[in-house]
Amino acid sequence: MTDHSLPASADIRLEGVSKSFDGKVKAVDDVSLAIAPGEFFSLLGPSGCGKTTSLRMIAGFEAPDAGRIRVGGADITDVPVHKRDMGMVFQSYALFPHRTVAENVAFGLRMRSLPREEIRRRVAAALKQVALDGYEDRRPGQLSGGQQQRVALARAIVIRPPVLLCDEPLGALDRKLRQSMQFELKQLQKELGVTLVFVTHDQEEALAMSDRIAVMNAGRVEQVGAPAEIYDRPRTRFVADFIGEINLFDGTWDGGRFIAGDGRSLPATMNGARPGAGAVAVRPEKARIVAPGEGAVAGRIESANFLGGQVLYRIAASGDRHMLAKETNMGAAARPVGTEVGLLWNEADAVVLEG
Amino acid sequence: MASLADALPATRLTPRPRRPAVSPIAWLVGPALLLFVIFFVLPFAVMAVLSLLSGNPAQNPNVYLTSRHYVRFAGDDLYWDALWSTLRIGIVTTLASLLVGYPLAHWMARMKSRLGHALLLMAVIAPMLTGIVVRTFAWMTILQDKGVINTTLIGLGLIEKPLPLMYNEFGTVVALVHIYVPFMVLTLTGVIGRIDERLEQAARNLGASRLRAFAEVTLPLSLPGIFAGSLLVFALSISAYVTPFLMGGTNVLTLPMLIYQQVSSSFNLGFAGALGVILLAVSLLVVIAYNHVLARFSGPEGLT
Ligand SMILES: Nc1ncnc2c1ncn2[C@@H]1O[C@H](COP(=O)(O)OP(=O)(O)OP(=O)(O)O)[C@@H](O)[C@H]1O
Ligand SMILES: [Mg+2]
Repeated sequence: MTDHSLPASADIRLEGVSKSFDGKVKAVDDVSLAIAPGEFFSLLGPSGCGKTTSLRMIAGFEAPDAGRIRVGGADITDVPVHKRDMGMVFQSYALFPHRTVAENVAFGLRMRSLPREEIRRRVAAALKQVALDGYEDRRPGQLSGGQQQRVALARAIVIRPPVLLCDEPLGALDRKLRQSMQFELKQLQKELGVTLVFVTHDQEEALAMSDRIAVMNAGRVEQVGAPAEIYDRPRTRFVADFIGEINLFDGTWDGGRFIAGDGRSLPATMNGARPGAGAVAVRPEKARIVAPGEGAVAGRIESANFLGGQVLYRIAASGDRHMLAKETNMGAAARPVGTEVGLLWNEADAVVLEG
Repeated sequence: MASLADALPATRLTPRPRRPAVSPIAWLVGPALLLFVIFFVLPFAVMAVLSLLSGNPAQNPNVYLTSRHYVRFAGDDLYWDALWSTLRIGIVTTLASLLVGYPLAHWMARMKSRLGHALLLMAVIAPMLTGIVVRTFAWMTILQDKGVINTTLIGLGLIEKPLPLMYNEFGTVVALVHIYVPFMVLTLTGVIGRIDERLEQAARNLGASRLRAFAEVTLPLSLPGIFAGSLLVFALSISAYVTPFLMGGTNVLTLPMLIYQQVSSSFNLGFAGALGVILLAVSLLVVIAYNHVLARFSGPEGLT
């Protein structure tokens, strides 16, 4: 693709957007987001939290009940779908089964009434970009899932949209293919410079690919931040729990110290937390396994899960509690089940949660 | 709703691995095959044979082979007119049913509310529970010179003489469309319902207006349903007897009416057979031509 300049990517702003269906539950509840031009932005959350609905409102398939949506500064809330000029990759790809791969990719260009020759050239270039040259005359039904996914991608990017919307585009692929497609999609997005809104319920995928992530829960945005920030500094209990594994401790802040339910003081710094009831959380890989007497909490190793590069220990503590600790796999030095151990972490590694 | 289109060869079959022995399923097809032979192949064969004989072999053993029934048909404009009239009624009825039925089927197939869907389905099917004769008589009371429409228009002073709404092909087609449109709707609803709505959304996202998205995606994908529904309505309306007889009066003469005459009053089974064979042959040609037209619309692989 040397015959044109990069498409101007646009920023997307959602301002207090709400949507409910049948006047009942709010599928999307007062969501505000500012997505930068050229950003890889993920909407992450459990099933039914309103990710697809948010995306469909940006695409124009659903009209928000309240709030405005702006793209590139222009208010597009009332612009009809076909005038929004956005690329979209549907969850099930939605390829036209009665048309060939080339015809599928050419569709958006044809709708823009471009000259035949230019359509041909751009379709060829787009198919090349997704490594599908030579498949022009196949029908979608004759392609594998991964190939269909790429056709859907080519069909969306060939119109050079300033904004690309993807609804779980890799959801139907097997793990291996999924990982290579993650890499390719990210690569392509950077190459095109397009603003990409990516919907997924797979936290690993979101962490691996995104510039920033919005974690959603029950129609609301819980936290927006870079992957490392979301992982290392979850603000709410929901985010901490949803992303990866974590040890949660309920307790109270008392004179700058965190006192767990059983009366022990745990390593944590208050930085900004309100005094009174609170919670802290520690990632399993931040928890060090030490001798029973030296830990902030103590317990007995109940099981050891071999994860390849690491071992995940499940530790039974007093009061029917369980904790997780992850250690680098050291071969023969693995700890046997039944060992009494203690857990310790740096004060800075204990995440202070709101409420 | 298992659609009638399922049964048609229009749907492409995926090749299955060949089995060594006769599958037990094949035995289940047996009764259907037997019925097909007894009620379709056999009568047609008898009809075709009779059409080539000089008389009824059951009554007169000295019959001989002859083409005179076909020669008789070819030599008389009355019969050609009846053939054209039959085809014209069939084609116009089919196209009108398609125009009326498609929007209805589309609406039904895309309806979110299950209650609404059920009510519409009832509305479509309910008329089929009344006999054809009853429905035709109902149309007579509406379309007659002294029927609802004409008396209303005259009463309002909009016309002076009654409009010729009945005892012609127009009245015949109106009644036939009413009677056969449910077949079109049911067939199309099944096919349209299975077209993923997201395809049309994808088209709109790529810059197609609602109408364009429909024309580019849903319409071509529903061609098998259009073909199946049309075939059904066409076959039913060219073989209709009661409705053309009652609605057409003396002004409409179709092949089924002629055939009935030949069988019931002229006792000329040979000529009746020839008329039947001609009707079947010509309607097959029409169907093949129609299939070609639709296939052109949907591209090389769209239909067959
Ligand atoms: N067309 C609709 N009619 C009624 N309710 C809907 C509709 N679309 C979505 N909902 C409801 O809105 C809520 C959010 O749905 P949405 O599809 O946005 O979730 P999601 O985050 O994409 O979930 P998933 O990960 O399962 O795709 C759900 O409770 C869903 O049932
Ligand atoms: Mg979804």
